[in-house]
Amino acid sequence: MMRSLYLVYGAVVMAVLGVAQFQGWSLARMNEVKNVPRSIRDNPGAYRSIYSSYHHYTGGK
Amino acid sequence: MSAGPTPPAKPQVKALNCPGCGAALTARSLGNAVTIVCDSCHSILDAKDPNLQILQRFKVATDEARPLIPLGTRGKIRGTDYEVIGFQRRTIHVDGLPYSWHEYVLFNPYKGFRYLTEYNGHWNDVSILKALPEVHRFGTPTVSYLGETYKHFQTAQAGTSFVLGEFPWQVRVSESAVVTDYVSPPRVLSSEQTGNEVTWSMGEYITGKDIWRAFRLSGSPPDAVGVYENQPSPMGAQTKAIWVAFAGFLLLVVVMMIGFDIIANNKQVFTGSYRYDSNQRGEASFVTDEFDLTGHTSNVEVKTTTDVNNRWIYLNYALISEDTGKAWDFGREVSYYHGYDSDGSWTEGGQNDSVAVPSVPAGRYYLRVEPEGDPGYGVTYYTITVKRDVPQYSLYGLALLALLIPAVLLTWRTLSFEHLRWAESDHPPIKWGNDE
Repeated sequence: MMRSLYLVYGAVVMAVLGVAQFQGWSLARMNEVKNVPRSIRDNPGAYRSIYSSYHHYTGGK
Repeated sequence: MSAGPTPPAKPQVKALNCPGCGAALTARSLGNAVTIVCDSCHSILDAKDPNLQILQRFKVATDEARPLIPLGTRGKIRGTDYEVIGFQRRTIHVDGLPYSWHEYVLFNPYKGFRYLTEYNGHWNDVSILKALPEVHRFGTPTVSYLGETYKHFQTAQAGTSFVLGEFPWQVRVSESAVVTDYVSPPRVLSSEQTGNEVTWSMGEYITGKDIWRAFRLSGSPPDAVGVYENQPSPMGAQTKAIWVAFAGFLLLVVVMMIGFDIIANNKQVFTGSYRYDSNQRGEASFVTDEFDLTGHTSNVEVKTTTDVNNRWIYLNYALISEDTGKAWDFGREVSYYHGYDSDGSWTEGGQNDSVAVPSVPAGRYYLRVEPEGDPGYGVTYYTITVKRDVPQYSLYGLALLALLIPAVLLTWRTLSFEHLRWAESDHPPIKWGNDE
């Protein structure tokens, strides 16, 4: 019973993995924006990324 | 005149009555019993003696447990009808605490005697061995019987504390024997030593429900408490099967990885080298040339290669579709630090970074790039490379993790079960205190 359940579960995992690889899924955090104005090509500064306020790590030990 | 031959005596039916109290006795084993116990006055009688000599009398507590299967009940064990003819309670003491179990004597006129034992709702179907097992005393003692190895579980002095019905041996209350159990679930081999006499028996675990069904008893059996010495692990065989299945899936993942590596385009669609001067005022953002993403919906890898050295650069990216106006907005920091301290040399971060933008449809695209850096850093050179349809190995890792979790959880449950089993033995997994 447990083995059958695991086989079904494993098959689902493999199917999701196949779809994920084919469709190019990624773990990266992205923000999807719709209808970006075409004017950006002429005026890149008119677009402001939501990540522009990111707190930068100034690192080192 | 001759008197002639004396006619044989007429057979007479003789009622069995207890010589102690006169109560009627029921003999169920057709003369096979050696002792019979009077339920009224608790006298143990010699069943082989025509006068039923009293061998022992014992006192019974008013709250003495009665057999869960009443004497005289008939049931089918392994396809053979047996009748319950005797019952006894036996007790061992471990660390000063008494542990009692019950034994039922079963009888079939053609098959002889068989036994059932019950402890805390755990039952065993027991029969006497006809051959001697081979005992190995090196390390943890084991015994071999019919090609199966049994591990030593416990040795204890067991005393008989209550008896009822008929027994095929000279039973006495307070008699004791050294009982040693060796287990190989669902079986247990037990040796009982009294003086120089050793009797070996084999028990096989059986559920209370099966007992109730076999003897057609009303109600339900008492719940099994804890884990018994030879109780089969409910997950034991399944754990092995699941690890075998996991190995199969692992192989499939490797095949899938090779397959996707072969069919993936992994095609470079854009590259550009840039310079960022953090001291320079003014708008730093810019857009790249357009590039085409072809094929089915797939990922886009954006790789940033820099010359940062004990500094950082942050790049706000937007991958923008020329056709639909949809954008994937993300930021990447590339930082690389290194130095030397009392622990030796150290490094942190790296000069390169890559990220996969998920599920991007085919079309014409460009990147908007907005670099940031600490004022005073000066000039940083960096290269942006865009690739289409790049295999993502982290997904394989996630899939393996997802496959591994149930197998590990099941193994953990199996080990916990075995831990509980052996915690009650002479060989507990962890010895607490300094008992020895």
